[in-house]
Amino acid sequence: MKMRRFLNKDGTRSVLATLISILIGLFAGALIILIVGLADSKLGLDEAWKGIRLLFLGLFSKGQQAGSLIFGFNSTNIGDMLFRAVPIIMTGLSVSLAYKTGLFNIGASGQYLAGTTATLFIALKMNTAVIPPWIVWILAFLGGILAGAFWGAIPGMLKAFLNINEVLACIMTNWLAANIVTWMFEGSGLQCTEGTKTQVIWKTTHNGVATAKMGLDKLFPDSQQVDGGIIVAILIAILIYILLTKTTLGFELKACGSNRHAAKYAGIKDKRSIVLSMAIAGALAGAGASLYWLSGSTEFHWQTYLSLPGEGFRGIAVALLGACNPIANIFTGMFLSTLDVVGSKLSFYTGYNEYITDVIIAAIVYLSAFSLVIKTWLSKKFKAAEIKKIPDVLITSENAGNDAPPVPKNKGKEGNEK
Amino acid sequence: MEQATSEAYPYVIEMLHITKEFPGIKANDDITLQLKRGEIHALLGENGAGKSTLMSVLFGLYQPEKGEIRKDGKVVEIKDPNDATALNIGMVHQHFKLVEVFTVLDNIILGAEDTKLGFIQKKEARKKVKALSEKYGLAIDMDAKVEDITVGMQQRVEILKMLYRDNDILIFDEPTAVLTPQEIEELMQIMRNLKAEGKSILFISHKLNEIMAVADRVTVLRKGKYVGTVDTASTNKEELSRMMVGRPVQLVVEKDEAKPKETILKIEGLSVPSKLHKNDAVKNVSLEVRAGEIVCIAGIDGNGQTEFVHALTGLEKPSAGKITLCGKDITKASIRKRSLTGMSHIPEDRHKHGMVLDFTLEQNLVLQRYFEPQFQSHGFIKFDAVREYADKLITEFDVRSGQGPVTKARSMSGGNQQKAIVAREFDRNMPLIVAVQPTRGLDVGAIEYIHSQLVKQRDEGRAVLLVSLELEEVMNLSDRILVMYEGEIVGELDPKTTTTQELGLYMAGAKRQDKEVKAE
Repeated sequence: MKMRRFLNKDGTRSVLATLISILIGLFAGALIILIVGLADSKLGLDEAWKGIRLLFLGLFSKGQQAGSLIFGFNSTNIGDMLFRAVPIIMTGLSVSLAYKTGLFNIGASGQYLAGTTATLFIALKMNTAVIPPWIVWILAFLGGILAGAFWGAIPGMLKAFLNINEVLACIMTNWLAANIVTWMFEGSGLQCTEGTKTQVIWKTTHNGVATAKMGLDKLFPDSQQVDGGIIVAILIAILIYILLTKTTLGFELKACGSNRHAAKYAGIKDKRSIVLSMAIAGALAGAGASLYWLSGSTEFHWQTYLSLPGEGFRGIAVALLGACNPIANIFTGMFLSTLDVVGSKLSFYTGYNEYITDVIIAAIVYLSAFSLVIKTWLSKKFKAAEIKKIPDVLITSENAGNDAPPVPKNKGKEGNEK
Repeated sequence: MEQATSEAYPYVIEMLHITKEFPGIKANDDITLQLKRGEIHALLGENGAGKSTLMSVLFGLYQPEKGEIRKDGKVVEIKDPNDATALNIGMVHQHFKLVEVFTVLDNIILGAEDTKLGFIQKKEARKKVKALSEKYGLAIDMDAKVEDITVGMQQRVEILKMLYRDNDILIFDEPTAVLTPQEIEELMQIMRNLKAEGKSILFISHKLNEIMAVADRVTVLRKGKYVGTVDTASTNKEELSRMMVGRPVQLVVEKDEAKPKETILKIEGLSVPSKLHKNDAVKNVSLEVRAGEIVCIAGIDGNGQTEFVHALTGLEKPSAGKITLCGKDITKASIRKRSLTGMSHIPEDRHKHGMVLDFTLEQNLVLQRYFEPQFQSHGFIKFDAVREYADKLITEFDVRSGQGPVTKARSMSGGNQQKAIVAREFDRNMPLIVAVQPTRGLDVGAIEYIHSQLVKQRDEGRAVLLVSLELEEVMNLSDRILVMYEGEIVGELDPKTTTTQELGLYMAGAKRQDKEVKAE
């Protein structure tokens, strides 16, 4: 009975649904690996078997010896996975928060770019000889947050005051951001290019503004990339969870998102709420960019940003996979970055090239997003079971006062068999 | 229960001993309903009594656990709506199922199109629809788009849909809930015409007046159980309401003479622009509501009442005028400010304004107060306090729901949603209560309750501004009646000296008091 009550909880169902859909996604990925392996004369069954093992255990791959894979704890992989999870956890939070407050933030990419630009300019243009690097770091981080918030507030304001659909406005602001950013780095004379390289700017390690490792380099000694960013991201996720579920502000934002008219009726400033929701969503995406670039582990190459950064769109996958629960986003973000690591292992240790790897990852993400469908299915399944097995324990207030006798067992079954 | 007799069969549809269970609740418990050929048979019951479930069983949407359905004495099995249609059963749903962008004619033939070589034979269809509409007095414009026609006409389209399919068992699910008094009168006449042509009608309603006016027999359900079937000729409203609610119900509100005191609300020269046309929806309205009285704004729907209330409560901006509440000018104040200055508001549209349907009941109960220190500290909601408060209101106002305070508002019945709103607004103890159609769509028990609550609030010294479309409610409840016609107050009447007929004349714009007359 305890088990059933546990299973009946909405949260339990969400988690179960997510896990099931991830499994379905992984098996579908395995199937693709198998089919491609058998179809391609260069690969064959052995390579496919290798690929499938890597798909499930890639995070624990330790390379190969004499052609066979070795598995075990690999601190490089896990450290890299955590590092790559940071920006998509943040964009995932951005999409989740907007979604919970009735908005669809497809503009996380643009907000991410806004955050990128602000952060890098502040981090690289400030003289660390005069201002201590940690202050520059904080300023750069705040700058990224504010820039993202500003960029998110624009579609928010268009929605609130002119009733323009936020999805359309977000698509516009995404491309505006893409082009403005390119201009900022290339055309504006504000260049911070590294030496003779073109279109690549300094890493933040260049002037010592990189994020502190917060001891994670001890935990994962071989990873070049891991830093305190993941800790900041997890803290922010918890903060957003608290904001949404425990505070009056969250109550207002959710009320407004769920029924703008009723919120207005209750004296909540509906326009302010919409702008605020989008601004916070933008701030989260901007913060994600800040944490990623401030890490100093990677250099920004803006030419590629004539297209939009994938982090924004992967945020949607992270959010949906986690049923837009901020805490769940931490894990779904890590899952998606695990797939990243898996992808690189696949193309490194097997004959699968990077393109087919992308297809496999995309299939997994796509199928994983069915968690909502699976949740509905789970709910139905449990409901059917309730009618059949435990009709007499569910006394609602509707019939509690009724003198109706307890419902005899198995009645539902008979009815169904008819 | 009496079983079918073998003589010439009088019953066209019989539902015998129907039992339908849902998890934790018996929605129908051994219910028997026998519909005679050529009668109007009303199905009466409060919200949640099992009327809709029973009709869904008849329509094949649910399979009963027990019981059988007979058509002309023969047992039939109805597995889905197609089976029901094959048995010539048709239904007008409470919320119409029409394609808004299609024409009336297209809607009528949709799903039953006559085709020749794949082409729709509209000419034939047009002829048939025309003949039907003339035969039964169903005035429609066949080429108008459904989105452009009135609700009353949409309903006639739904009726024609059934007739077009040669249905002879017609189910009307709460057909009057969406209609104006005039349209209701028309519908009653249409139902009588249908009956005269030999159709059998099942009429689901909880409005006793209408049932007494058109139905031949009434079957009453209460809490999923069969209470009885009576002839309307040999019963009265009191008996029916007692059967429905399970206890005697007061149909007329008992109240003492009002003892109005100081002015709470003063409105001077209020005008509100219209969203539909260039003229003002509300023109130069002045009125006063004092503590301890119920002032009612009567009028036919769409005469500016909605805009007036929106301007008063802050949902819309007036173009001119001044509103004073408890001595403070609130003309330009925010909604929150007005509400805190002393205004409770039971909104007209409980789904649009009254509730956040995806929130839980307890969240909805604190929708107007979550920011008060009682329910939050430093921006963090005090969940225990909210739960305690919700439990208190739920008990006090008898709000029923599946899971108590954590029930999703969406899953509650309309009556209980309204009770929750009333509970929330009354419990704030504000000097002014603006109640807009507070009993719309509610059953007798709930109406009685809300009426008595309004009187209680008045007696406790609050000012009540009631906006209502129901003549009976206006006459019963108010201490003063203001009639609104085309955005103007055209008369002030005393319910003790005026008659329904006179009130009707004012509402229709046939009569008006001049300002001078009023002043005398």
